[in-house]
Amino acid sequence: MTRGATKYLPLLPVYLIYLVLFLVAEGMPGMWQLMAMLVFYCAVGQAFNIFLGMTGYVNFGYVAFLALGTYGMALSIYHFHQLPLGVGIVLLGLLLAVVMAVLLALMVGAVALRLGGAYFAIATIGVNEGFRYLIEGTKIWGGSEGIIFSKQLLDTFGREVANKLSTFWADVSVLIIAALAALITLHFIRGKTGYALMALREDEEAAKVMGINVTKYKLIAFVTSAALAGLIGAMAWGLKLTYVFPPEAFDISYTVEGIIIVMLGGAGTLLGPVVGGLLYGLAKYWLTVILPGFQLLIFAPIIIVVVVAFPEGIVGMLRQRLKGTPFEPFVL
Amino acid sequence: MTWEQLGGNLIQGLILGGVYGMATMGLSLIFGVLRVVNVGHGAFVMVGAFVAFWLFTALGLTPIAAIPAALVVGMALGFLFFYSVMRRLVGAPELTSLLATFAMGIILEEVVKLIFGTEFRGYNWDVGKMDLSVTVLPLAKLYAFIGSVAIAALLYFWFNRTRAGTAVRSVVEDSEGARVCGVNVGWVYALSFALGIGLTVTSGVLLTMFIPVGINPYMGGVYTLKAFVIAVLGGLASPYGAFFAGVIFGLIENGSYSLFALVPGLEPFAMTRFLSFAILLLILLIRPTGLLGTK
Repeated sequence: MTRGATKYLPLLPVYLIYLVLFLVAEGMPGMWQLMAMLVFYCAVGQAFNIFLGMTGYVNFGYVAFLALGTYGMALSIYHFHQLPLGVGIVLLGLLLAVVMAVLLALMVGAVALRLGGAYFAIATIGVNEGFRYLIEGTKIWGGSEGIIFSKQLLDTFGREVANKLSTFWADVSVLIIAALAALITLHFIRGKTGYALMALREDEEAAKVMGINVTKYKLIAFVTSAALAGLIGAMAWGLKLTYVFPPEAFDISYTVEGIIIVMLGGAGTLLGPVVGGLLYGLAKYWLTVILPGFQLLIFAPIIIVVVVAFPEGIVGMLRQRLKGTPFEPFVL
Repeated sequence: MTWEQLGGNLIQGLILGGVYGMATMGLSLIFGVLRVVNVGHGAFVMVGAFVAFWLFTALGLTPIAAIPAALVVGMALGFLFFYSVMRRLVGAPELTSLLATFAMGIILEEVVKLIFGTEFRGYNWDVGKMDLSVTVLPLAKLYAFIGSVAIAALLYFWFNRTRAGTAVRSVVEDSEGARVCGVNVGWVYALSFALGIGLTVTSGVLLTMFIPVGINPYMGGVYTLKAFVIAVLGGLASPYGAFFAGVIFGLIENGSYSLFALVPGLEPFAMTRFLSFAILLLILLIRPTGLLGTK
């Protein structure tokens, strides 16, 4: 096998998991929603991991980027549904989602990423609230009422296609975004960006002295993570639910979920967020059945235990175990 | 809007700002000593609000009695969290302490949710009003302000005139140097964390005078954000900077409410909340060491 191909070996387990999820969803009746939820959490974990895992900085305003993506899709379909774009309107929605998420990330990142992790955390905890209250305060984008665009979607595509878009293509797109996120993560880890980020995660001052433009690499990771979050929001919330409602879209518990998934699975690894996403998704599904309303109370102590006792997460520990075995190249 | 209304709003802002300032001193104390940002700050404020609410409605005790009770509850929580978790995270990468304090806040919110449910609650401590011609000030709010100033003054005295306070200050300046001089740095960490949490929980009692029906397990988020704006404004590591920054923030918040209300099409209450965030980004952009900071 050539050197170039071995580089992509760690993607194999990730894509295998995604294939299995898709086949189960397609083949087993009644499994679609559960599988879609698992894919959503894997995708969220991967998008979150690109920043949290690779830089060691926490973005407490993560959900704001998901929400902005949702608004991108909502605005596109709500305002431009009369344009003769066909399915292009969904692509326009995705574009708008990415552009808005990237702009917000650039704005916040340019200000706060120059400063240390404490200041960055403080800045991001306000992003979520700040943006939500900007929408509600200025009454743009439907203000506190949000936007419902199911009618516009129906008018544009007719019942059958609109249904197919919301119940099938929205979920499949999240799977595609998750696959894309894995590819980007691998590219980052194995490339110059990854080395720069690893250096600054270990010792930011030393990295600066070595001549690494730390702010630039932090910003690259932050913006990439935000763009992926925007795409996920546009599809998993926007196109799938066909409405956006500020208190739901800016609900901070999604940020908590992102943190749990990344830390539990293994921050900064490729497979970690996928393992974390599967575990968290299944646990949440199971807990909502047997102990509804207790998820956060159960998962918050788990964050503490993981952070204190095994910060490398499940995949991080697995990698230690697999050193020197034939499985090593597959787990990253 | 008349000048009288603006004047009245600013007086209310000054009173509220004093309480905001006191509510941020704990955050600054913890950051100053341990270099840890307490991301769960608002949840501790919420606990204080519930202490006041429960003492008032269940036992008929006034908020004056709730202040020492909240301080005790808060310090107990502080010691508990310090010795179970934070002790292991002093000096660890920022990521770990940020996530740990964030998780602590969630645990508190969920536990309180289990006990009290999620509906909004409140109580009314009616001790009369004061007519200032431009505005009518409920005396409960005035007492909350006086309480904040008194607590800030006591803390100042404790820092500057007692052995324990001097030890804390020495650790803020140089923890290695303090260790060499025989200061029990581990104990200073524990005490400062507990005192910081105690102050934060106590501030929750004072804040209930301003939110007649706003007590809820998830009420803290907004105070976390406000406290961060205030703390950064005050220089992050200085409890006194925080106190004065709180007063400034209260004035800005109430003053801007009057201005936003003049603009047609705006929802002024939501805009003041957006403004906190805008101010935060602005300070971080221009002067991250704080407007009242030393550097």
